[in-house]
Amino acid sequence: MNLENIQSNSVVDTRGLTCPMPLLKTKKALKGMASGEILEILGTDPGSKKDLPDFGNKGGNQFVGMLDASEGHTRYFIKKG
Amino acid sequence: MKTEIRNYYSAVFEQEWPAWLAGILIAIIALMVFLWQSPWGIAAGYHNWGDWFYYLTGAFDERPLNSWLHPVSLSDAGILIGAFASALMARQFKIRPAPKLEYAKGLVGGILMGSGAAMAKGCNVGGFFSAVAMMSAGGFAMMIGLGAGAWVGLRYLLWEMEHLPSRAVYSKPKNETTSKAVDWLKIQPYLGGLVAIGVIVVFYVYAFFDKTQLGGWLFFGFLIGLVMHRSRFCFVRAFRDPFMTGEAKMVKAVAISIIIYFAGASVIKWAYLQEPAMGVYHPFVLGCSIGGFIFGIGMLLAGGCASSTLWRVGEGQTKLMVTLVTFTLANSLTSKFLLVSGLGEKLGKDIFLPDVLTWQITVPLVLAFFLAWVLVAMWNEETEKFVVF
Repeated sequence: MNLENIQSNSVVDTRGLTCPMPLLKTKKALKGMASGEILEILGTDPGSKKDLPDFGNKGGNQFVGMLDASEGHTRYFIKKG
Repeated sequence: MKTEIRNYYSAVFEQEWPAWLAGILIAIIALMVFLWQSPWGIAAGYHNWGDWFYYLTGAFDERPLNSWLHPVSLSDAGILIGAFASALMARQFKIRPAPKLEYAKGLVGGILMGSGAAMAKGCNVGGFFSAVAMMSAGGFAMMIGLGAGAWVGLRYLLWEMEHLPSRAVYSKPKNETTSKAVDWLKIQPYLGGLVAIGVIVVFYVYAFFDKTQLGGWLFFGFLIGLVMHRSRFCFVRAFRDPFMTGEAKMVKAVAISIIIYFAGASVIKWAYLQEPAMGVYHPFVLGCSIGGFIFGIGMLLAGGCASSTLWRVGEGQTKLMVTLVTFTLANSLTSKFLLVSGLGEKLGKDIFLPDVLTWQITVPLVLAFFLAWVLVAMWNEETEKFVVF
């Protein structure tokens, strides 16, 4: 899947936030989404590069991938299971 | 050859190390520190820095020990420098701003951790990690307090998400400095290498002045900082994750570390290579349990404990810089208050478990306790029984 052109259904902005807030906000956002929808998370915490892929593959969800944006943050994509 | 070296460099200095490996390495280094002089701690270094602030501002009369002659102050500095070197070598060092609310949480979290560590006479390292390995009953009381505090702290974070949402903050790279930014990324690993060499040079300087033992504290701290940053090893997660996501990874890593540290310390103490009661000074039960509870709330607010505050500062997290300052000031002030008021003596007394239970019972009991912690965490990972969100 080409992450550059992926259409997300919802976006969570965690830029500037550190552990555990990116994970908490991601978990909360996923709870409100329907199966098959894509959540995009914007983050700057280096810890998220490990935490979000691990968490994204739990509970029937699927971590689709991550992409370093030119603006200095990272974009993460999780598909709700 | 060049590609192979680059791959090795990437595996060691860029890719994240597994938490269990870090747990084993930290236990080994902690045992080296114990054999070198005394058990590893962190809050005593913060205490020393805070004492200096109050002394220089005229609030305290007694001149504290020079920070460069204080073992724990040196190992704390080593952890920070080790994480800084590691972040540079991984090209990850960056001054990282945070939203205003995060700074406020960092400030309050530091105050709570500093006060809690003063009551428990130790932080998550000296009051829990080293304390249980040294067979101090207070370490187990603090562990329970940390767990309860983490639960309360997590409940607050959930409330905050609903009622006080933070606005995202980040520093956008400037277009005109793109070429400079690229150069900075290239330079970082060399700077990291220079910092590492600098620490070794300082160790030899200490040795030259017949202060080898002190230089060793800086060096061991440096190794711990390096390992913690490379693995993002976090004691907070061992207490928080079972309630937040149910994940047991950090519980397993911390438990492996404690089991190795405890087994090694048992051999060293039982064989009288070090004084058996060394490292046992924690006020059981009130000081450790209440202090642990307060500390637990603080570490959730700050997003870091005593050790992870240091390594996160080393990678440029400004929120934890605020935490570091308030932790030191609160720790020194609360310790002074407990001493002057006499309240500290009422918080409990140190108990060396083998004195009460005998060596024969203490060793298998402690091992069984930490194995049970792992099993409960694994069961919770499957069932999510303790997950609050």
